[in-house]
Amino acid sequence: MTTRRRAIILLPLTVRATRIPPRNRLGGGARVTRLRWLREWSKGSVAPFVWGGIALALLTLIGELFDAQHGAAALLYLSAVVLTSLWGRFVPALLILVLAILGLTYLFPSEFWTFQILGGTTDVVALITFLAVAFLVTRLITITRRVAEALRQAQADLAHVSRVTTMGELTTSIAHEVNQPLAGIVTNASACLRWLAGDTPNLEEAREAARRIIRDGNRASEVIARIRALARKVDTEKQPLDLNAAVQEVLALTEGEVRRNGVVLRRELAGDLPSVLGDRVQLQQVALNLVMNGIEAMSTVKDRPRVLIVRTQRGAGDRACVTVQDSGVGLDPKGAEQIFEAFYSTKRGGMGMGLSISRSMVENHGGRLYAVLGDGPGATFQFTVPQRQ
Amino acid sequence: MPNPEGMVFVVDDDASVRESLRGLLRSAGLGVTTYATAQEFLGGPRADGPSCLVLDVELPGLSGLDLQHRMTEVNLEIPIIFITGHGDVPTSVRAMKAGAVEFLTKPFVDDDLLTAIHEAIRRDGAARRQQAGMSELRDRYQSLTPREREVMGRVVAGLLNKQVAAQLGTSEITVKVHRGQVMKKMQARSLADLVRMSERLGRYTKV
Repeated sequence: MTTRRRAIILLPLTVRATRIPPRNRLGGGARVTRLRWLREWSKGSVAPFVWGGIALALLTLIGELFDAQHGAAALLYLSAVVLTSLWGRFVPALLILVLAILGLTYLFPSEFWTFQILGGTTDVVALITFLAVAFLVTRLITITRRVAEALRQAQADLAHVSRVTTMGELTTSIAHEVNQPLAGIVTNASACLRWLAGDTPNLEEAREAARRIIRDGNRASEVIARIRALARKVDTEKQPLDLNAAVQEVLALTEGEVRRNGVVLRRELAGDLPSVLGDRVQLQQVALNLVMNGIEAMSTVKDRPRVLIVRTQRGAGDRACVTVQDSGVGLDPKGAEQIFEAFYSTKRGGMGMGLSISRSMVENHGGRLYAVLGDGPGATFQFTVPQRQ
Repeated sequence: MPNPEGMVFVVDDDASVRESLRGLLRSAGLGVTTYATAQEFLGGPRADGPSCLVLDVELPGLSGLDLQHRMTEVNLEIPIIFITGHGDVPTSVRAMKAGAVEFLTKPFVDDDLLTAIHEAIRRDGAARRQQAGMSELRDRYQSLTPREREVMGRVVAGLLNKQVAAQLGTSEITVKVHRGQVMKKMQARSLADLVRMSERLGRYTKV
């Protein structure tokens, strides 16, 4: 009996010990283990159910070994096992709690703790068990939420970094894009002054030049507004969205890059595209990624025209479908799924995050992102987003 | 459109730049035609009078430097002023070596551009005048008979009538007659004048 009791008491400690391998306690590789743990946790959070099942089975077994009120204590104890194995931080506190209750249960006969409540008979152990389990469940939910929130925040941060990195690659062409209207403004202002100079100023021409100044100034500020909208660090919020307009904005932003790389851009935007519920910034980031990848894939192409086709269409099941097709180096069919993995990159100096982040963002919208194989010399990527209900 | 000061072609894919340049150049009394691409410009009409080309370096398809190269190939000699959004040294060196008048970075000072344009138009005017003189000279040379050309080649090489006659196997009198025809047709006032013309024509007939 003593051996068994000791085994039960020590159980949380052994579970905890197997969770983190000893070498990680020394610091080496601890980060990796924690990340893997986080990832497993995120996979549908099946762990609590597994542990719950094991707990129920053990409870039945222990119910046979002990009498009834000890079974209640065992329930509490097992809850502690489950919880502490899920989240190690509670070990000390729970151990004390559990030991206290177990001690009380063994020291005093159950009748001693019985009292009347709401017309029924119950005992203190059962009450404490109930309160403790309630407390633990609440904590568990809070922790789950906190972990999910931390994960979501980490993903958002990563997406932001990736987005800003992509935009960093666009710096030259964006600078050009802003510089053009500025050049227009300076020249128009010079022209305006010239029309106003002399004995017979030409007011109509001067006015026309001033109007062009206003127009070019607005154009420059529009470019900047587009960049700021995309570079902003925002919390995800899904709103009714016109995917065509969102894609157009991305194409406006990449226009300079397209030109600089001698790429011919073909837009085939469907008129009957279903409206979707989506996060504008996220979906634009996906489109931006695909467009930039396409341009990059064609940078070594010399023997054929560099054509980038950006198409939107109504897909099967009333889904909005966005296709980005390039005439670049293409994909290795064997590695077509690998490209969506994190830290996998075919580019020199690439982070290998673009497609992986893009895929999770599309899936976050209930859609899919995939490569279409065997479609022309280059690569074709497609993502779908379900229609807004 | 009357363009007393000259004609300027502008090739830039950006509408803001094109329109602002049109305004500026018109305010300076210049005639302007704008194109969005190099291909459009190549397909467009040429100016009768002195003209120049204000050319963006970064153009979609055929770039500014490509167009400059292409123009040399097809003997389209219009002075070029390059404008660029981000001028780097290698590009500007290439452009200037290939004969550009000026290389300006956007946004540019209007006076810089207008000075460059006036210089380019002046050069084009001079080139045109020289071209016109040259083609007239060629016409005159074309009007010579083969025999007269033979005589002219030997005369400008410094041979005496006697020597020419001996070489061609005719009499000195005949050579004299041919020589008179050459002087008349070429509108040369003296032998020295004829030699200069011969030099300009770049033809040195073998003795």
